Amino acid sequence: MISGRDIISSWDVIMENENGVSVSEFIEGENEPAASWIFFILGFVITIIFLILYGILFPGSELPVISSILPIFEGVFDSGLWFFILGIMVGAFAILGTMLTEATSE
Amino acid sequence: MGLITILMVFWLSIIIVYVMLNRGIWVFTDVTKGTSLFMLEKALGPAIDFAEGRKGSGAVAWIIQGAVWLVISSTLTFVGLWLGHEPTALHSLSAWGLNPTSESLILAGKLSTIFGAVGMFLIGSALHIVPKLSNTDLASEKNATLVSFVWALSIFIMVIGAYMPEIFGVKILLISTLINSLALIAIIVNLLLTASSRERKMALPGWLIIIGLISVPVSTLAVAITGNLTNGTGQWALVRLIGASFFLQVSGVGLYAASYGSGNPLWSKSLTVITLAGSIFTLNPIGFLSGELSALFIGLDPALMEPSRNDVIGGSFIMALFAVPLISLASNLLITIRGDDSFIENSDNPGMAEINFGAIMLIPVGISFLFVQTDYLSGNDELIGLSSSLHLLAIWTVLVPISMGATLCIFPAVSGRNVLSANRSRRAFWLISGGAFTGIIFTIMGDFSNISLLELDPEAVITETPNGLKSLGSVLFYLVVLGSIFQCLNMIRGYYRGSQIIDENSKSSTSISLKSYNLTKTATVRKLFSKGATMDTEIVPVNESEKQGKPTEL
Repeated sequence: MISGRDIISSWDVIMENENGVSVSEFIEGENEPAASWIFFILGFVITIIFLILYGILFPGSELPVISSILPIFEGVFDSGLWFFILGIMVGAFAILGTMLTEATSE
Repeated sequence: MGLITILMVFWLSIIIVYVMLNRGIWVFTDVTKGTSLFMLEKALGPAIDFAEGRKGSGAVAWIIQGAVWLVISSTLTFVGLWLGHEPTALHSLSAWGLNPTSESLILAGKLSTIFGAVGMFLIGSALHIVPKLSNTDLASEKNATLVSFVWALSIFIMVIGAYMPEIFGVKILLISTLINSLALIAIIVNLLLTASSRERKMALPGWLIIIGLISVPVSTLAVAITGNLTNGTGQWALVRLIGASFFLQVSGVGLYAASYGSGNPLWSKSLTVITLAGSIFTLNPIGFLSGELSALFIGLDPALMEPSRNDVIGGSFIMALFAVPLISLASNLLITIRGDDSFIENSDNPGMAEINFGAIMLIPVGISFLFVQTDYLSGNDELIGLSSSLHLLAIWTVLVPISMGATLCIFPAVSGRNVLSANRSRRAFWLISGGAFTGIIFTIMGDFSNISLLELDPEAVITETPNGLKSLGSVLFYLVVLGSIFQCLNMIRGYYRGSQIIDENSKSSTSISLKSYNLTKTATVRKLFSKGATMDTEIVPVNESEKQGKPTEL
């Protein structure tokens, strides 16, 4: 027997049941995405909508706050290399964070 | 005295050491054994209590730190490659008094990869392999763990030394060498003590590792005894001999892991002997081009390379002979991981793909270096512009894949857990191997363009074409950084949360259990033994059937 929960959690199970025999029918799952992810995606979409609307309503105007902060970094992060270094820093902190949390978790 | 004299002294020294080791390691009598063990543990005082003494803890400490160094070294190399086409990219750091150049960052990247990532992977693997092949425990797990931090400190100083060779008149690389030598001697003594208490004849990969480690101090002594440390030829020979020591260690670790991970027996014992003897009795062309670095490491001034006619002819001939151990190792690795099939066996085992890739790249990289080194030795210097990028290719497509592949193979055995995800490990492999191969090949194409342009017009300014190629090469190399981060995270998380290894024999995907073995097709007795069967294993012939769950007739 296969349950809907198993089907959603593993793509392989959609194709085969536990005896390795292919299941040729549509089966509906019971899982739902986490609420945090829904809000995260909604936030992203609202940001994009805001930027588009701002561009339409105030064409040629600079973004408030952000446009006054960015010039501070002129001459500092003026090479594309810094974007790559930013990515590496995220990775480095992920490693550091993993080490600390894994070592201290019960 | 010239190159041939240095080599003869080195060969004689290694033969003496090998005979001494094989005749029961008489230097390690009960008194010296006890003293050495005391020096490894009790003599260190309270410091040793900081280290864990659990079985496998030493190897894990080296391997995890090696993975962290892999991230650092790939980052340094990536930024160095980027500055190759945009030298002012980091000019804002000059506000802090830092002016990194492409050359200094690439050198720091190479040193941290060779001694940090690869070196720590190799020693971490050796700390598991030598006791395993000796059927005994490591002499001092605590010392191995503690020394890993000393080694890491020496690499940190080495990276600083690559950027600033002298601070307040103090030679930074010399300090790094002294600390590194201390750690290396501790590891050699630890492994020799382990080998001296072996309960069975140690297989050849174990000897490859031990001789490889010992040949570092022996080669330095050989050059010093012959009075060649201060001349260009001696310094160049020292770089070649240190390269041979790495080749020996990579061979030993790679051959062990190829058999261990695939479940196949090591294909050829005679080829392993040829790899061992060939690495010692030839000159390894793979590595840094000049001897400048060896001089800086021992606190001397680099000397001009002025080889005699005999040195050029003899050196070129002996270097050409290196093709023999090179081909032996590549074929032995490739056939061992394939067994009697044309595909890699147990290919789901993390590490197999890396070893396969490294073995495939061994011959083209080795032969390319042969041409570049003979060009340098003969003083033509036509290919000198390629050497740095070619060295990167050797490091990232041979040294790193084989050492990391071997580490991934033995990781479950030393940590008691698998890496968190075999799929993530495979993805990291594609990022590292794909990024390194394509990125460095584009950089080499840029180097070739530079050489051609300079031949046409020596005053020519570097044009857009090579810079465009180098730009593409550096961006592609970024994949290596990402792959290193993923692999490092996968190993750290695996160490804490990976699926546990309950029985070491159950790691392999084989269906063999100690009590019975289901035989579905014809197999040699050798194959059965290699899969873990013993004399008491009951062989159960299984008939093919169309029934569900039974072997299917094809």
